[in-house]
Amino acid sequence: MKALVIAEHVRGELRPVTLELISAAKSLGGPVEVAVIAKDPSAFTDAVNVDGVHEILAVAVEQDEFENDVYQGAVEQLIAERSPQVVLLGFTVGSMGYGPALSAKLGTGFASDVFAVREEGGALVAERSFYGAKVNGEVEFPGHDRVVLLIRPTAWQPAEGAGSAGVTEVSVPPAASRARHKDWVEVQAGDVDITTADFLLSVGRGIGDKENLEQFQELAEAMGATLSSSRPLVDAGWIPNARQVGQSGKTVKPKVYLALGISGAVQHLAGMKTSGTIIAVNTDPEAAIFNVAHYGAVADLFEVAEELEKLF
Amino acid sequence: MPVLLGAEETRETFAGLETWEIVLWYALIGVSVAIFAWGVGRLVVKYRRGRARTPVGNVVERAVSTAKIVATHTWIRRRDPLSGLAHLLVFYGFVVLFIGTAILAFQDDFAEPVLGFDFWHGWFYLGYSLFLDVFGVALVIGVTVFAVKRGLLKPFRLSYWRPAEPAPPLAGEAKAYRLGDWIFLGSLFFLALTGFLLEAFRIAVDDPSFEVWAPFGWLAGQAFIALGFDGAAADSARATTWWVHGVFALFWVSSIPFTKAVHMLAGPAGVATKDERAGRTLLPLPPDAKPEEVGYATIDALAPKHLLDLDACTKCGKCHAACPATATGYPLSPRDLVLDLREVAEGSMGNRAALGISPRFPEHAEILGTIKPETLWSCMQCMACVEICPVGIEHVPIINQMRRALVERGEMDGQLQQTLETIYTSGNSFGEAKRKRGRWAKDLDFDVKDVRKEPAEILWFVGDYASFDPRNQLISRALARVLRLAGVDFGILYDGERTAGNDVRRAGEEGLWSSLAEENLETLAGCRFDRILTSDPHTFNTLKNEYPQLGADWTVVHHSQLLLELLESGRLRPRKGLGYRVTYHDPCTLGRFNGVYEEPRRVIAALGCELVEMPRNRDNSFCCGAGGGRIWMKELKPEDAQRPSENRIDEAVGLGAMDYFVVACPKDVTMYEDAIKTSGHQGEVELRELSELVLESVAPAG
Amino acid sequence: MKVVVCVKQVGSLGDEVEFTDDERDVDPDYLDYALNEWDSFATEEALRLREAAGDGEVVALTVGDEDAEDAMRRALAMGADRGIRIWSEDLAGADPITIARALAEVVGAESPDLVLCGVQSSDAVQAATGAALAELLDLPRVAVVTKLELGDGSATVHRELEGGLVDVVEVDTPAVLTIQTGINEPRYATLRAIKQAEQKEIEVREPGELGAPAARVRRMFVPPKGEGAEMLDGDAAAIAARIKELVAEKMQ
Repeated sequence: MKALVIAEHVRGELRPVTLELISAAKSLGGPVEVAVIAKDPSAFTDAVNVDGVHEILAVAVEQDEFENDVYQGAVEQLIAERSPQVVLLGFTVGSMGYGPALSAKLGTGFASDVFAVREEGGALVAERSFYGAKVNGEVEFPGHDRVVLLIRPTAWQPAEGAGSAGVTEVSVPPAASRARHKDWVEVQAGDVDITTADFLLSVGRGIGDKENLEQFQELAEAMGATLSSSRPLVDAGWIPNARQVGQSGKTVKPKVYLALGISGAVQHLAGMKTSGTIIAVNTDPEAAIFNVAHYGAVADLFEVAEELEKLF
Repeated sequence: MPVLLGAEETRETFAGLETWEIVLWYALIGVSVAIFAWGVGRLVVKYRRGRARTPVGNVVERAVSTAKIVATHTWIRRRDPLSGLAHLLVFYGFVVLFIGTAILAFQDDFAEPVLGFDFWHGWFYLGYSLFLDVFGVALVIGVTVFAVKRGLLKPFRLSYWRPAEPAPPLAGEAKAYRLGDWIFLGSLFFLALTGFLLEAFRIAVDDPSFEVWAPFGWLAGQAFIALGFDGAAADSARATTWWVHGVFALFWVSSIPFTKAVHMLAGPAGVATKDERAGRTLLPLPPDAKPEEVGYATIDALAPKHLLDLDACTKCGKCHAACPATATGYPLSPRDLVLDLREVAEGSMGNRAALGISPRFPEHAEILGTIKPETLWSCMQCMACVEICPVGIEHVPIINQMRRALVERGEMDGQLQQTLETIYTSGNSFGEAKRKRGRWAKDLDFDVKDVRKEPAEILWFVGDYASFDPRNQLISRALARVLRLAGVDFGILYDGERTAGNDVRRAGEEGLWSSLAEENLETLAGCRFDRILTSDPHTFNTLKNEYPQLGADWTVVHHSQLLLELLESGRLRPRKGLGYRVTYHDPCTLGRFNGVYEEPRRVIAALGCELVEMPRNRDNSFCCGAGGGRIWMKELKPEDAQRPSENRIDEAVGLGAMDYFVVACPKDVTMYEDAIKTSGHQGEVELRELSELVLESVAPAG
Repeated sequence: MKVVVCVKQVGSLGDEVEFTDDERDVDPDYLDYALNEWDSFATEEALRLREAAGDGEVVALTVGDEDAEDAMRRALAMGADRGIRIWSEDLAGADPITIARALAEVVGAESPDLVLCGVQSSDAVQAATGAALAELLDLPRVAVVTKLELGDGSATVHRELEGGLVDVVEVDTPAVLTIQTGINEPRYATLRAIKQAEQKEIEVREPGELGAPAARVRRMFVPPKGEGAEMLDGDAAAIAARIKELVAEKMQ
């Protein structure tokens, strides 16, 4: 099964998910081709040249940054020319903009947030979760000899090892881009970078009131931890975006991740499940976070917080 | 002193007045009465602009009960017997003097000229004089007590302290109010003083001996005589004083509708129109109400009764002193709310509006903008204000109606919105799956009947907190065991139960309440039972008082009532007296709302416990802070202020060594368990719910 | 100004689950249904656009059976003007591409100035319907929008990337935008408004050609718990003490 991986990059940096996609592609056993679509593809071709990649397709485009129509046009052409059975994109904001569109246009199979794939008798079977990650499901694509998959970040380990793939330049006609990048707005600076913290104390909806945040801020300081949170608190404006852990926030890998009052929505787990030691406290014994935590306690987080306060 | 009887014991009414002066006098009476009538008329016009409707009831019954209440001053005397007594003196002083004048007018203007009957002399006159003198002095004493209270003792309720600044253009008129209060007192004093002086001067003219029957005036008269101020000098003083007293009195009467004096009319009117079920039974929305007409968004949306309430307020401050929100520093004082709304009403529909005097509010003032939303959301709907108000003001329904308008506009805090949405989706405020509702019963060593499937004598409507909150689940199990021991045939609705909606309604989401009620009614209609039991006073209140609005016809008991029944009938036998020293917190919705004060106390006594009353108990109980949906809202108190529940725990700790702080409401359990910790009294006081005490007492040993 | 909003009624599971006989889906008895959270943000955004324009129409679309009208009713109660529900048995459990095909015909017929969808639905989390719909309508699209400013013939939107970085994009209109949570505060729909929304028109249509499904769920199952967390016992004090030990140990 031939796999085509579309590399992802932002502002000159290759995104780690690209190497994870390569691992996923390799697991299917067939040839793996990686497409780099950028103004200057050569900036990334070395980074994607890892063991297991058969060919690198360098597609030069006029645009500095990602634009939906540009990527879609380029990938459409690549599919036509290279005939992969599987096209692998990351389940990322960028790919959400064109991956499904690609599938709709070309009439391929489609599934997103996929964390496992395998071949069964020449056909592809993917696994994804449903209903807020409480159940998993096997998805098949009957009648399709081509499937577009958006792969869940951190589901695979990044591919490693030096590769020896050749780079082929592919030229695409300039795209009429109907959604054009204009500018960047920086993440609110002046705040801490949670990705470098060794110890994160993370809070979720379980803390209830905005008022209670202070208590946990103090606890974090007392314990020597950096405060972070799940998305709902950021949406509510209680905590700055820079401290958000999760799929649409930051991915973190501290030595210790202490989660208080976080249920473990899949989007959040994606951002922290590779942490060294995960300790979770939640009143709900069925909270999904306990599936990834190393240590858990079903308890009232305020009571535990108070006790912790006394100890530190 | 020889007492003569007969025609000599009298006095000339218009002594020393020329005819034109008498004519002028009657003309002034006419003017005064006309202004008075105009003022009263304008008030009536203002009230009739109100759109909502409140229940009227039996007019005759109401008139009779109002007369009794006013005559005995039962409402005014509550919680402040001294002021109550003083007001009695002022009231009856005023009434008697007024009747005295009326009698004289009747004599002079009707009985004598028309009927040829002259009764104002002899024994009648002497009795009359004595009576009026005594009551005149009573009036002075009353006014003096008030002046001392206000000027020297300065109780909290009379301070115009506001927990929060009012929103512009309201001014928060403390200075003007204070001035008005003193002027009012002063004017009464002035009337009495000039009245006595008049009498004294009259007596000093020729010292008729029978005037000893007007003792105080007589004494003053003797003093003037002794000072040599008699005869012609006294007469001239009398003549001047007569006009001063008379004109001032007429002026005073004409000013009644425009000053604090209006409470003489509006107060009894407020008492007469008070809905006894106000607050505990909220009124449904008119079915065809348009979105703008939901609740009180503009001043003319208020019911006439409520507009009247705004004028009835005498600024006594009893509600202000009783309110737990005010005590905690929330931006709400029930008194200030009433006075602020009064400003708006006057400024848009009253005399100020008619005469173009500032501060003015545009027609149909948007009270939702003028009153801050935080003020309305601070209310715990605990009814302390309504319960104590001497003139029958219905603060709680007014606030509730304003909340309805806010909810209709979607203007509420995020947490409340979230909770209401959760209740809508999952039928309970915890967001738990419906099937988990009966889970608490699984840990019992017996099965609890599903009353949807089998008939039971008692249908136990458990309620959200008692079903889902872990601490309260312990209590539910305790109660279940007690009922089992007593051999009570009971069942629960399992996942058929929805939150009864008491607090949803109090938060102002009327539509959600009726939707929940309809669901519950339907479920209950399919069940067979004799009575409904509930362990949650909020559930108790709405099932008992409000569900009948939608057709329910049940007997509803609270578990304290059922437990008492079981103990008194012997179905529950205490193994031995527990011997604990306990105090009991009256839940607002059980006590103030529904008058269930004694049953929990008798249960405690039957268990052999010693009850030490909280200083603020029964109708004066201090709310834990969870009511009115506040348990679902964000904190509005100042950061460093003590929560109402902490305040209450401090009060309990102040009673000295105590075994338990006993409660009978699941929300109290939650709030007070928390407050015991956060107030730093953990270890000094322990909480027990009534069912837990009963179980301890009746459970078999071992 | 006509805005079409695509909404979905999503199911959420509690802590228990049973599957249908063919194990291809969860037993509906175990689901609580509500309007998809992202869609309430999208609806709110559409309503604000209409309010800003002073005039216009917000049309709510959904693919679902009769029960799904509850979610739509919420959108109507918030202020959408009318609704269209598309359904046929073939759409039961359909993949997002197929759903998009069902929607495309109806959306196209409405000729909207803007189409708003939620980024994803909380039950399926495919995050695909919006972009697929855009393609079928041949409309420009931006996914994961956190801010929207309409201009003339184009719109300036913020696209929020992972980590919070915001990409400012100029997109030609009409366009399809998928709306992210936090873009606004969705207004509360009172129960009264929801009941009154029952008076608002919901048209029911059958879809046109759906083509072959892009995916088929073969089986659903409860994920294996794995080793799972080591659960800490005792009261809050004991738990806190253990946490302190662990932190000290693991931070070395």
